[in-house]
Amino acid sequence: MSIEIVNARLLDPATGTDAIGGVFIDQGVIKDFRTGTGVSFKDAKETIDAGGLCLAPGLIDLRAKTGEPGEEHKETLATASRAALSGGITSLVVMPDTRPVIDDVALVQFIAERGRETAFARVYPAGGLTVGLAGEAMSEIGLMAEAGAVLFTNGDWPVASAQVMKRAMTYAASRGAIVMSRPDERTLTVGGVMNAGEFAARHGLSGIPIEAEWLGAARDVVLAEQTGCTLILDQVTTQRTLDIVDVARGRGAKVFTTVAAHSLFFNELDVGDYLTYCKVNPPFRAELARKTLIHALQEGAIDAVVSAHDPQPPEEKRLPFGEASFGAAGLETVLPCLLTLVEEGELSLLEALAAVTIGPASILGLPQGRIAKGAPADLILFDAGKPWLCDRDHLLSRSKNSPFDGRRLQGRVMRTFVGGKTVFER
Amino acid sequence: MAAAHADYIFRHDHLLGIEGLHPLDITHILDLADTYAEATRAGRRPEPILTGKTVVNLFFENSTRTLSSFEIAARRLGADVVSMPVGNSSVKKGETLIDTAMTLNAMKPDALVIRHSASGGAKLLSRKVDCPVINAGDGTHEHPTQALLDLLTIRRTKGRIEGLKVVICGDIAHSRVARSTTMALHLMGARVHLCGPRTLIPPGTDTWGAESAGTDFDSALPGADVVMMLRLQLERMNGSLLPSQREYFRYFGLTADRLALAKDESIVMHPGPMNRGVEIESSIADGERSVITQQVEMGVAVREAVLHLLAGGRA
Repeated sequence: MSIEIVNARLLDPATGTDAIGGVFIDQGVIKDFRTGTGVSFKDAKETIDAGGLCLAPGLIDLRAKTGEPGEEHKETLATASRAALSGGITSLVVMPDTRPVIDDVALVQFIAERGRETAFARVYPAGGLTVGLAGEAMSEIGLMAEAGAVLFTNGDWPVASAQVMKRAMTYAASRGAIVMSRPDERTLTVGGVMNAGEFAARHGLSGIPIEAEWLGAARDVVLAEQTGCTLILDQVTTQRTLDIVDVARGRGAKVFTTVAAHSLFFNELDVGDYLTYCKVNPPFRAELARKTLIHALQEGAIDAVVSAHDPQPPEEKRLPFGEASFGAAGLETVLPCLLTLVEEGELSLLEALAAVTIGPASILGLPQGRIAKGAPADLILFDAGKPWLCDRDHLLSRSKNSPFDGRRLQGRVMRTFVGGKTVFER
Repeated sequence: MAAAHADYIFRHDHLLGIEGLHPLDITHILDLADTYAEATRAGRRPEPILTGKTVVNLFFENSTRTLSSFEIAARRLGADVVSMPVGNSSVKKGETLIDTAMTLNAMKPDALVIRHSASGGAKLLSRKVDCPVINAGDGTHEHPTQALLDLLTIRRTKGRIEGLKVVICGDIAHSRVARSTTMALHLMGARVHLCGPRTLIPPGTDTWGAESAGTDFDSALPGADVVMMLRLQLERMNGSLLPSQREYFRYFGLTADRLALAKDESIVMHPGPMNRGVEIESSIADGERSVITQQVEMGVAVREAVLHLLAGGRA
């Protein structure tokens, strides 16, 4: 079945394209695309008139948690996929910190299969870097990679021992595997619930200091340099961490950085009167830190923006701030969050899209995330300026813990294609 | 005395903290508390304005003095008092603060007094119930009635609050009393200087209204009208926040020599319970400049005033 999508604003950050045009899709793949008005493709059996909407590659999310297996009441791969597609995410990497932990071949295969059977989005398993994420013994990195694990991570609990981390990275490098790590020196952050500083002190909340991120980043980039392992520093929140990465890159380390979309939008003051939906780790930092992250994104110093989707049911959030779980539902708000920043003039449209398409695609070596001949036809049609009110009750995620609840956002996905098939339409 | 503010209306639904109060609110509470303190001293029963009303004390943290103080205050005003010293362990069996709040709310109390180990606990409760909530201490956040009783004690002994120099010494970081009392004193025009080990001084104390926050107790004391010592939680010794009790006492303990640095007529305060020999020498605690027992007395008067204003029915 061949389709043409015409009269669209083609946006492809990989080539810097931003022009009216159309694409031609056949057998799930982009066969052709042209810019210009009145473009059409003679072999197309079906025509979709985009009516001037933006047409861009579907988003690739390097960090989403679901509750499958083990905590399906929070989220399943199917519900996460539905939420993702409505937010324009067509590929997502799911974290290994489930019950049980995804730390062996059978579980990687299970996730991959469940993804194919129950989800319309492309689901990529991340493998646990250590057995049970206990930070003691490295897992079967090579075998899990063969089974489809696209990266290896210890999730929210970075490996505490530098020795174990070094060995795991040394081994991963030899298998060509990518390691993703949260820069976090845990001995400084245990017990912390929000960004350390005046606001936390005044509200009587224990702080998560930024130097914990710097120390964690320093260790991991040095190990990346020494071992030759490709490292993704997961959810950076400060410029100084990016500076640490810069130095290591200058020395030849293969290090990539990601930022959670919500960290580009909120600052620590949004915690307000103990709002637990704003309890995330890494925490929302000071406004200045948020501004410098946006600047870094413009400069291309951040390789990918992630949803950091972490579904939590009400019983985990309807608690005093200190006792509530960390985590924010994020799949449905990554693109609207970025588009709102674009509308507010903080980012250009192509800068915003690069970090969720070609950026993550390049890290993982995926063929999608671009409008190119032969690339999978994972595409989204969106209305860049459409205003809407984020109401948690209307979110498709099984858990509704969004810090964007009640916020006015701009920009909405109208239609999502995976492999040329329409998998979501608003 | 209350007649001076005849047109004044206390507009708050709850007392969750000093933050958010206006100096007029504080003056009004203190004036009313003064009349209650006088009545008690004169052996008069106050008007039973809470007759037929139910006050529930919900204490998730152990406390003897604050709980009894609230109980006595509510009883003096004629209220039926139910105290639930739930401690921290018994509620851990799955029931959350919100569940407890909803359950109690269904019993239609006229006021809820809550102490909880989590900062923001009182605020959370106030969102879920229909009656006034009084914060009797939430985590390391606020303890507003303690601040008010401190102010009343100071005002009664010094005749004023404005312009006084107050030095607060101890574990500022983990003290809800330090936060509330600093903010309240600042609102009423006192100059507050905080003092303690560097590991126990949080950032941003200027936003609470403190003029300084330092580690040299001796240099903070000259000119002080009030010296307030905070309780040192002995478990702080385990987290490498402090070297030892003996070193703490050496630099931050209130001794007679040290007190001599403050004004001759200065007063000594402590929110209790005291660790004698850790933060304060016994002779000072029991000495003539100590107003520590008066603080306890004023505690009841302040709580009567607060219950009066929040649960006394707004005509």
